[in-house]
Amino acid sequence: MSETSSSAHDPEPPIRLNLPPLSPSLFDAEPSELQQPNGSAVRHSSDPSSPTSSGYAGERGSSTATTVSQVEDILHNEIQEITIHDPQPLSHSSWLPGKRHSDEDDASISWRRRKKHFFVLSHSGKPIYSRYGDEHKLAGFSATLQAIISFVENGGDNVKLVRAGKHQVVFLVKGPIYLVCISCTEEPYESLRGQLELIHGQIIVILTKSVNRCFEKNPKFDMTPLLGGTELLFSSLVHSFSWNPATFLHAYTCLPLAYATRQAAGAILQDSADSGVLFAILMCRHKVISLVGAQKASLHPDDMLLLANFVMSSETSEAFSPVCLPRYNALAFLYAYIHFFDDDTYLMLLTTSSDAFYHLKDCRISIENVLLKSNVLSEAQRSLIDGGMRVEDLPPLPHSGSSHLGQHRLPSDSPERLREPDCGIGGAAGLWHFIYRSIYLDQYISSEFSSPINTPKQQKRLYRAYQKLFASMHDKGLGPHKTQFRKDENYVLLCWVTPDFELYAAFDPLADKALAIKTCNRVCQWVKDVENEIFLLGASPFSW
Amino acid sequence: MGCGSSFPDRGSRHMGRPHPEDGGGHDARNIRVKLVLLGDSGVGKSCIVLRFVRGQFDATSKVTVGASFLSQTIALQDSTTVKFEIWDTAGQERYAALAPLYYRGAAVAVIVYDITSPESFSKAQYWVKELQKHGSPDIVMALVGNKADLQEKREVAVQDGTEYAEKNGMFFIETSAKTADNINELFEEIAKRLPRPSDIVDYATSKLPPDVLAA
Repeated sequence: MSETSSSAHDPEPPIRLNLPPLSPSLFDAEPSELQQPNGSAVRHSSDPSSPTSSGYAGERGSSTATTVSQVEDILHNEIQEITIHDPQPLSHSSWLPGKRHSDEDDASISWRRRKKHFFVLSHSGKPIYSRYGDEHKLAGFSATLQAIISFVENGGDNVKLVRAGKHQVVFLVKGPIYLVCISCTEEPYESLRGQLELIHGQIIVILTKSVNRCFEKNPKFDMTPLLGGTELLFSSLVHSFSWNPATFLHAYTCLPLAYATRQAAGAILQDSADSGVLFAILMCRHKVISLVGAQKASLHPDDMLLLANFVMSSETSEAFSPVCLPRYNALAFLYAYIHFFDDDTYLMLLTTSSDAFYHLKDCRISIENVLLKSNVLSEAQRSLIDGGMRVEDLPPLPHSGSSHLGQHRLPSDSPERLREPDCGIGGAAGLWHFIYRSIYLDQYISSEFSSPINTPKQQKRLYRAYQKLFASMHDKGLGPHKTQFRKDENYVLLCWVTPDFELYAAFDPLADKALAIKTCNRVCQWVKDVENEIFLLGASPFSW
Repeated sequence: MGCGSSFPDRGSRHMGRPHPEDGGGHDARNIRVKLVLLGDSGVGKSCIVLRFVRGQFDATSKVTVGASFLSQTIALQDSTTVKFEIWDTAGQERYAALAPLYYRGAAVAVIVYDITSPESFSKAQYWVKELQKHGSPDIVMALVGNKADLQEKREVAVQDGTEYAEKNGMFFIETSAKTADNINELFEEIAKRLPRPSDIVDYATSKLPPDVLAA
C-alpha cells in the first residue's frame, strides 16, 4: 500500500518568510511510481572516457583465474545463501565502540548473514578495511571484488551497482582505493554510495589524499599499518549511518541555545580566528555550539561530521593532531588542537602551523575563561538535558514564541493517551517526528524522538525511511520534486522541498492528509519562530 | 613517594604556560619536564599514562589519534616535585615524519613494548635507535615491557629487555597498567634520573620544531 505523488511544477516558487502554505492540491497530480525495478540489474556508467587507469591489468593481485561471469556466479551464490535475519539485532543503546566479530571470515555463516558489509581494498586487491571479520583472512574475498572492478574497468567502463536478489553491491573507485558495500537493508543506491564516500573521507582525514602516492611507488603497497589503531573511527562512522541524519543530509545541526549565549561563544571564538587560527569550532557531542573561520575559509558539513567523529572516537582530554579536511584541502594536513571541557563539550582549533600547540593552548585558556564567565558551558549541559524541539510542543498556528523553544509542555508522560485517527500519539494530527533542513545555512534541526518512535530500532527504521525519501526527492533522473506524500504500513511521510528549506515529517499511518499538510505548515512556522535558538545565524560556513 | 598532587585532567585551568606559581622549570625544587611515550599501537601507552595520571584502567579504552597531552606532578623524597608534561603519541607509522614534532625537546622518552608481542619489541628497538640519532643528546630513556600481568602469554623474556636496555644505557622495567604494577615506580625512577636543576633546560617551554609533515 504505497501511494506516491509528486509535482514538479509549482506555479509560485515559495520564498522564505512568506511561505505559500503547503496545500493539499499539490498532491492531486497523477501518482507516479518511484520504485526502482526489482530483480537483477547492473548499472554501468557509459562514459567511454571514464576508466581511471588502464595499468591495473598487470597489477591484478587476484589469484582467481576465473572469468567475471564465474566470479559473479560465485558472488551470486554466496549472496543467495544469506538469510536476512540478523541473529543479533542491533541495539543502539548497547552499542559498544570497536570492531566486533573480528574472528569471522567469508567462510563463517555468521559473517555471511551480516546485513551490511563495508570493504575497503587497494587496486591490487589487498584488503584495507572490513566492517566485520579479520581483513587479513579476507584476502581472497578482496581479490574477488578487485577482479570484478578491474574486469569492468578493462572494458572501458565502471561498475557501480550489482543487484542480486535482496542484495545490492555498491562500488566506489577512488583512485587506487576501492570501496564496496554489500547490503540487504534496502537503502537506496545513492545513500549507500554516500556512505562509501564518507568512509573514504574518513581515510583522507587520517592520511590525506597523498596516500595515493604510496600506491604509485608500489602498487602492492599494504595500507593497513597506516590505519593501525583507527578501527574505532570507522565502526563509529558506520554506526552513525543509522542514527545521524547528517550522514545523508549533508548539513550540520546545532545545540539549541539562547541567542545571546551562542553569540557570546561566537565572539570569543572570533578572537582566536583573528590570531591566526583557521577554524575554531565549539561542539557538544555531534552538535555545534558555535564555529568561526578565518576570512575566506569555509568548512563543509561533511568535513565537520568526519572531524567530530575523529575527535569523539579518541581518548583524550587535550590533544594535538594532524588532521585533513577532505573538502577543504584533501592534499594537506592541518593541525588540530583539541580540548574537552567536560565529557560532552569540546573545542577544536585548526591551524596550518605544526608548532602552534602552545599558542593554541593559550588561546583555549582565554576562550575557556570567557565561556565560564558567560555560562556557555553550563547552558550547554542544560540544553543537553532539556533536549530540542518536541512534536508534542508544536504550537497552534498564530504564535509568538517567547519561552524556551516555544515550549508549552504537555503532560507527555501520561502513557494511556487515547489513540485517535486525528490525534494519535506524538504531536498534533499524529505528527511523530520531523527534520527541517535549511538550505542557506547548511544546517538541520531534528525533533526529539518521542512515543511511539522510542526504541533505537524504530528510530533507525525512520531514518532509513527519511533517507529513501531524501534520495527520491533528489533523484536526478526523476526529480527534482517539490512535494511527496507517501503512506505505508509504518508511517505517513510528507516531504516538502523549496529553494530555502526541506521538511521531512513522519506521521501516524492513519493520519489525515489535509491535516498533515496543515501541521507541516505549523512546523515551518514554529522553526521560523525559534530559528535564532536552534540555528547558528550569520555564520554560515559558506558565507563568511 | 607516589603521586604528590594530581592535576585535574579535564576542566583544568592550571596547565597554562607560563604559570606564576610553579616558577617554570628552573626552580631547584620544582622541575618540569617534557616526556614522550613511543611504541607500537596497542602496547598500552595510553593505559600506562591514564593509570599514572588518573589512577584508572579501562580495557576498552578508545584510541589515541595524533598525540594526547596530559600532565602529572610527583613529589620525591627529597621534597622536590617533578611535573611531567606527557605526550602520549599514536600512529607513528602514519605520522613518521611528524614523530620528531613530539619527541624533539623531550627530556624523557618512555619506549613501550608488549611482553606478549616480539614485533612490538623490535619496534621499540627502532625507536631507541631513532632517538639516539635525532633526540636530545642527554635524553633520559626508559624501556618498558608492559602487560606483565599476562605471564602465560609472554613471548619476550625479561632478560632480553634487561640486556637491550643495559647495552643502550637505558632504564628497564616491566609494568602492568592493568594491575598498576610498577607504574608509579617507573615515573619515580625517571624523576630520580633526571639531570639536577643546576644544568636543566626548560624543555617544557621550548618550542616545537617548525618542520611540516611531508606525508
